[in-house]
Amino acid sequence: MKKWVKGVVPAVVIGSVLAGCSGGDDSGGGSTENIDQEIVVNAMSEPPDLNPALATDTTSGWILDHVFEGLYTKDEEGNPVLGAASEVEQSEDGTTYTFTIREDATWSDGTPVTAQDFEYAWKNVLNPDTGSSFAFYMYYIKGAEAYNKGEGSVEDVGVTAEDDRTFVVELDAPLGYFDELLTMWTFYPVKQETAKENANWAGEADTYVSNGPFTLETWSHDSEVIIEKNEEYWDQEVVTLDKITYEMVNDATTYYQMFKTDELDLIQTVPTDVIDQERDSEEYMETPYFGTYMYMYNVEEEPFTNEKVRRAFTMAVDRELLTENVTKAGETPAYAFVPEGAETPSGDFRETGGDYFEENNDEAKALLEEGMEEEGWDELPEVELLYNTSENHKKVAETVQEMYSQNLGVDIKLSNQEWNTYLDTTKQGNFQMARMGWIGVLVDPVVILDYYLGDSPNNRTNWVNEEYDQLIADAKVEQDPEARYELLHEAESVLMEDLPFNPIYHYTNTYMTSQDFENIVYPVNRYPYLKWAEKTAE
Amino acid sequence: MYIVKRLLTMLVTIWVIASLTFLIMKIIPGDPFASDADVLPEEVLENVRAKYNLDEPIPVQYLMYMRDLATFDLGISIQSETRDVNGIIADGAPASALLGTQALVIALVFGLLLGIIAALNHNKFLDYLSMFIAIIGISIPSFILAPLLIKYFAVDWGLLPVASWGTWEHSILPSFALAATPLAVIARFMRSSMLEVMNQNYIKTADAKGLPVTKLVISHGIRNAILPVVSFIGPLFVFLITGTFVIEKIFAIPGIGRYFVDSIFNRDYPVIMGTTIFFSSILVVTLFLIDLSYRFIDPRIKLTSGGE
Repeated sequence: MKKWVKGVVPAVVIGSVLAGCSGGDDSGGGSTENIDQEIVVNAMSEPPDLNPALATDTTSGWILDHVFEGLYTKDEEGNPVLGAASEVEQSEDGTTYTFTIREDATWSDGTPVTAQDFEYAWKNVLNPDTGSSFAFYMYYIKGAEAYNKGEGSVEDVGVTAEDDRTFVVELDAPLGYFDELLTMWTFYPVKQETAKENANWAGEADTYVSNGPFTLETWSHDSEVIIEKNEEYWDQEVVTLDKITYEMVNDATTYYQMFKTDELDLIQTVPTDVIDQERDSEEYMETPYFGTYMYMYNVEEEPFTNEKVRRAFTMAVDRELLTENVTKAGETPAYAFVPEGAETPSGDFRETGGDYFEENNDEAKALLEEGMEEEGWDELPEVELLYNTSENHKKVAETVQEMYSQNLGVDIKLSNQEWNTYLDTTKQGNFQMARMGWIGVLVDPVVILDYYLGDSPNNRTNWVNEEYDQLIADAKVEQDPEARYELLHEAESVLMEDLPFNPIYHYTNTYMTSQDFENIVYPVNRYPYLKWAEKTAE
Repeated sequence: MYIVKRLLTMLVTIWVIASLTFLIMKIIPGDPFASDADVLPEEVLENVRAKYNLDEPIPVQYLMYMRDLATFDLGISIQSETRDVNGIIADGAPASALLGTQALVIALVFGLLLGIIAALNHNKFLDYLSMFIAIIGISIPSFILAPLLIKYFAVDWGLLPVASWGTWEHSILPSFALAATPLAVIARFMRSSMLEVMNQNYIKTADAKGLPVTKLVISHGIRNAILPVVSFIGPLFVFLITGTFVIEKIFAIPGIGRYFVDSIFNRDYPVIMGTTIFFSSILVVTLFLIDLSYRFIDPRIKLTSGGE
């Protein structure tokens, strides 16, 4: 069972007023009344699922976050604030929440959002027949885990609609970041009547009913999704955009050119080959992304059975050179596991934690020799670096190969496999050193650190450390935030002492945004949020 | 009798293809529910697997699939849980088919024209020019040609939209990009076929009899020279209308081309099966229609089964 404590999502709000800079017709005086409030963005691919109970990916989540609203939603700074609920009361022991659904909370078809809709939606997620992949996010609720695993009954789930507007949630234990968790799409309401009538209501725009700032107007599969301002939304005064079009352009060169010809107003993941020429442009920006790119060591495969060898391989990578000249998207060199972005009472978790090692080729060579001596190897066992087939991973792997050859005097082999095969291979532990990336669904260090728990299905390194597992378990029940983050820092230092992996860099997102728009919010683990966006020039 | 026999053979062919695909698909390693975010408890995975009958033994899965297939139910996509495979094909096929048809028309019109011009001007300037164009068409891969077309026609000259789908203008660049290679192949095919025919004795005879050149070329030359091209158009047509991964990706076209490739990467079993069966059915039917059409193009061919 996983527990995460509240982490605030720091967001970058871009409010630069640069009307007229982008050329074309300039509206001049700052009046936005005559400007069509429309934006065209790039979802890159078809959203796999627009049913909140089933969606598991960021593309679907991007659209869902705009058309739905949970009991809590995010404000412009990324803090959770009440959304579809107007009031909340917490019991003294902290385990029971009583929400009052907003009087003016309305579905896009004009009918009121009720507590029963929430009860239905949540129980539907937990229903084993639904087969929801994200059901485990609800396991903090009383009886939820048992019901979802087929061991308990639906009546025992601690989710009750007492009347149309009173919704009661009972938890197993108090949860510090429950409000943050409730902003996730898995917890969105679903209109009971619609879903019961048509199980596939979320498959087409015609039958789609939602309660957020926007509503789904058109869904042309593999082509575009259009959402329009929801006139029934209770807080619709803050919404300026009338229409958001999500195009589905997957090819990087194509969407970049569509941006250049004004067919798209906002693109993410700018193609690497144009970053150099766009870096100084007003339209270009880099934001940190809450994830880490790394090479896992298999601690049961020679030579990575030896801690000193692992450390030597970790120290011999020049991360600055790699991020500046190869990956180029402003990635931060990683000297720890948890990326920046997680706010704690004493500052950003990464800043208070600091770096855990330094790159040093001489020391790395010395460590390698010591390690080989300890193991009694005259020659280092041959090392193969495995990555999943992709141009970018190949570039990084080739650079690292060259660095090992120069800095460590070790020649390693490279090998790659197609993604699904690769996941199978690494899961079975058939590797010495293998690439992996990990991105936090929620912005909290524990979401990242969970990755290397002894019993985590993600931990493919065979590294198990009881002290580490215990520290994280302690952190999960610790109610005092200061003490909790302290435990997490300790856990990270245990991990970085043993080094079952080689952190390379922390991810970034790169964007190009038309300067005609203001008030777009860029969260660290989601795509841009457009609820408050406004077009100020044409 | 011939037609009935052919129809039965077609059904068997599709069944064999479906069975082989099913088998191969189950052999490739990987799991449709695997991802880097490997956080699902085993119990939840079991629920999801059960939804797609993946908890049954493989022979049972096979029988269940064949039973559904018999009623033309291709199942639900694993990747997009709200969409069934029939729907995915129905949504994507029209765009791919439109694009493919336009590309085929372009390839045929210009390809045949180039081939004929080249053959009639054998070893002269026009021959070299036509073949130069054809060689460029063959040697530039579509993933290079498409961005070049976008760069000039859309970005630099602003004549056409860069990509996406909707209006007729959106389909022009991808149609030409898609047509380039088949156009070149058709031109070369037609040229050599035409050269051969024009050297035949009956052409010389007709020429000696004083038949006008246009009539000679059209009703004796082209009519005979086009036969090898026709046999080649069938499979080409099927490949063009069932979508192409590269062109559809570059131009962001909502076709089904990408599903052939992506479904395999995602191990989206129902979509792998659905697209394969869709493709093979169209191929088998088209080949059958081509065979029938020979009868009209070339009266020397009679449709008989076996040695009758």
